[in-house]
Amino acid sequence: MRSLKHITVALLALIIMLSAFSCSDKACYEEMDPLLYTSLLESGTGDSKKADSVRVIAATPSGQVTLFKQNAVTFFTLPLDPANDLSEFYVIVNGVSDTAVLTYTRRPHLVSAECGYTFLSDLTGLRTTHNIIDTLIIENKSVSLDGEKNLRLFY
Amino acid sequence: MAKRTCVCFISLMILLGGRVGAQDTVTVPLNIRAGFDISGPVMHLIGSDLTSYGAMASLDINEQYSASLRLRYSSYSISEFNYDFKSSGVSAVISGDYNFLKPKVSAGKYFTGIGLGYGISFYSQEASRIEYTNPWGTGTDSFSLSRHTGHFIEVTPGVRTELFPGVSIGWNLVLRMLISSGAGRDIKPVWMPGFGDATSRMSTGAEYYVSITIPYKKIRVAIKPKKELTDDEGEENPESEPSGSSFAPGSRL
Repeated sequence: MRSLKHITVALLALIIMLSAFSCSDKACYEEMDPLLYTSLLESGTGDSKKADSVRVIAATPSGQVTLFKQNAVTFFTLPLDPANDLSEFYVIVNGVSDTAVLTYTRRPHLVSAECGYTFLSDLTGLRTTHNIIDTLIIENKSVSLDGEKNLRLFY
Repeated sequence: MAKRTCVCFISLMILLGGRVGAQDTVTVPLNIRAGFDISGPVMHLIGSDLTSYGAMASLDINEQYSASLRLRYSSYSISEFNYDFKSSGVSAVISGDYNFLKPKVSAGKYFTGIGLGYGISFYSQEASRIEYTNPWGTGTDSFSLSRHTGHFIEVTPGVRTELFPGVSIGWNLVLRMLISSGAGRDIKPVWMPGFGDATSRMSTGAEYYVSITIPYKKIRVAIKPKKELTDDEGEENPESEPSGSSFAPGSRL
């Protein structure tokens, strides 16, 4: 049993050493950005419809920022303004521009101790012009980290 | 002839019975222990964000089972580039511990075993600064002090030994499984007192206790009778007497 005594004392030293060396900062590997997922659908049939080009510009307080720009897509994803309960977008589909305004509520959400917090949103309303967009409807109001579809854009 | 055989057999039984009875029981003291965790203050001294003070009390129920209560106060504060977080509170763990050592080996002084316990944490948390940045810019928020109750399960393998009469030292590896943080999905605590990082279902840790041992009762425990060695058995029974003494002269090894 004397060896048990030695093991016990040695382990105290080991625990202290491991703790002292384990204080380095860890990196953040988790997904931090909740994205608004919008499906592009054909007006009338509701079938998925590939757009030749899609560009979405955010009207931020400091100016316009391109959030999405891609050719031949059937959906696009966008971040929402984390500082306001309203985001205004210029949605340009096949070269034709519309304005969409989304309103929502925000709440902090802890991702991990390493990454910190993000803001999840619940959509409360939307308005849009109708140059190329026929209808824009909310499919799922929760904009989270799950990647679920949120809006249906018929054009 | 039959009468002499019978008398001889009965005499043998009495002789053997007396010998077996003397070796079949061992006296084991049952103890009450009270102590404190020294790893918390040591961790704080070497610069941890965590302040943690733990105390424990345990009661031997019999030679192998004991019940213990561990109380802990923890305070945690962290400032990262995108948030400031603080939590503090008290946790209690009630557990049942099983000693793997045989009564003759443990002798009420030594423990190598495992505990299974239920823990509850009463804590408060607040985040005075939360920042999140994306292409739009930076959003800021905070949440004020709120109180919650968390629940978890603990598995604690560990060892304990008598340092000198009346004082024991021992350490436990602690594996915890979160049942509920009580704070909802969005503002789970970065650190839940008594549990740790509540964004994960599992957490690990270690505790190192120094405790005072007070015997309150002595019990006699039956131990397995000494096993006779046969030609097929090469190993000595660990509960038998020291090597050599259990072999009859001339027996084969």
